[in-house]
Amino acid sequence: MSCSPFDLRDYYLKELTDPQQRQVEAHVKVCSACREEMERLRLTQAALFSLRDEEIPQRIAFVSDPVFEPSRAQRWWAAFWGSSGRLGFAGAAMLSAVLLFSALTRTAGTSSSGALSPADIDRHIQRAVAASEVRQTLMTKQLVHGLVERLDREHSMRLVAENDAEYAQKQAYLAERKNGDYVTPASN
Amino acid sequence: MIFRAVEDTDLIRQASRGSVESYNLLVSRWEKRVYNYLLRITGNREDALDLAQDVFLKAYQNLRKLDDPGRFAPWIYRIAHNEAYSLFRKRKPEVDADGVEPRATDTGINVGGSSVFPIELSLAVASALERLSPDQREAVVLKIYQGFKFEEMAEILSCPVSTVKSRLYTALELLKAELAPISPRGVS
Repeated sequence: MSCSPFDLRDYYLKELTDPQQRQVEAHVKVCSACREEMERLRLTQAALFSLRDEEIPQRIAFVSDPVFEPSRAQRWWAAFWGSSGRLGFAGAAMLSAVLLFSALTRTAGTSSSGALSPADIDRHIQRAVAASEVRQTLMTKQLVHGLVERLDREHSMRLVAENDAEYAQKQAYLAERKNGDYVTPASN
Repeated sequence: MIFRAVEDTDLIRQASRGSVESYNLLVSRWEKRVYNYLLRITGNREDALDLAQDVFLKAYQNLRKLDDPGRFAPWIYRIAHNEAYSLFRKRKPEVDADGVEPRATDTGINVGGSSVFPIELSLAVASALERLSPDQREAVVLKIYQGFKFEEMAEILSCPVSTVKSRLYTALELLKAELAPISPRGVS
């Protein structure tokens, strides 16, 4: 039976508060029986530690496990977009869109006047060309405007830089003159 | 110094939002500890590995139920404990789980499979652990090898702290008697 103020096993297993730990430490210093008990605990733990942890024979990973997908619908969606069906679906969707567009435009044309006459075709072409020319003109204007602005900006920056350099030169000249060590080119 | 860029709590939060990559990183940090815990209470490498996989799978599926990510350690060990005891019950349905004890071999502890302790490890320690009851052995494993506090052990084992202490201290007395017996001159 231990005479320690607190259970030595609690102390050894670090389950006591700091003040309690200190009380036990003080007691163990003066009690040979408790010191002996502590030594036995230490030997027991040291012996237990002779059994080392083993490495896990096979790493655990769940990267591609479908069970991790949040729901069946999402799992299906992810599996679909991750499969080769994706390309086929995209192609089919585009083809459907083209067919639909073609069908709608054809219906609109035939509903009023049937097949287009050569005059109608010419008119459509002229309208499309005119629209294209307007777009080209607008784009050209924008480009020219942008270019002019850029050139103006560069010119202004160059002027400012030159002005700064000239100012710095003048300042240096004045400073040298003030110090009295300026030698005019004529004295050379 | 070990620099850990991402804390476990961050990984748990990311994993609970569905990041399998984060969960894999978390698993890589814990798999060895959980595997060795299972190895020491089941005494079989194959069972320990299978159980570890089940544990991490179950943990992922229930990660959203973990209110405090800081309590991940006792939580995952609780799952591991339940899985192991579920296996014990499945193997020996007619016997209470507490009655399922590892079978002794010349090289260490064995339960229906290969020996878990290499022959070079301390036979005395293996033999002493083998003589403990499963509850006592688990208490030793959780405290000595896994370093849990009494409160955490109580949470993992789902029993009062007083029960945890009782099991552990009975086990320690038995282990001390075997591994650090009192010599005529004092400590052996």
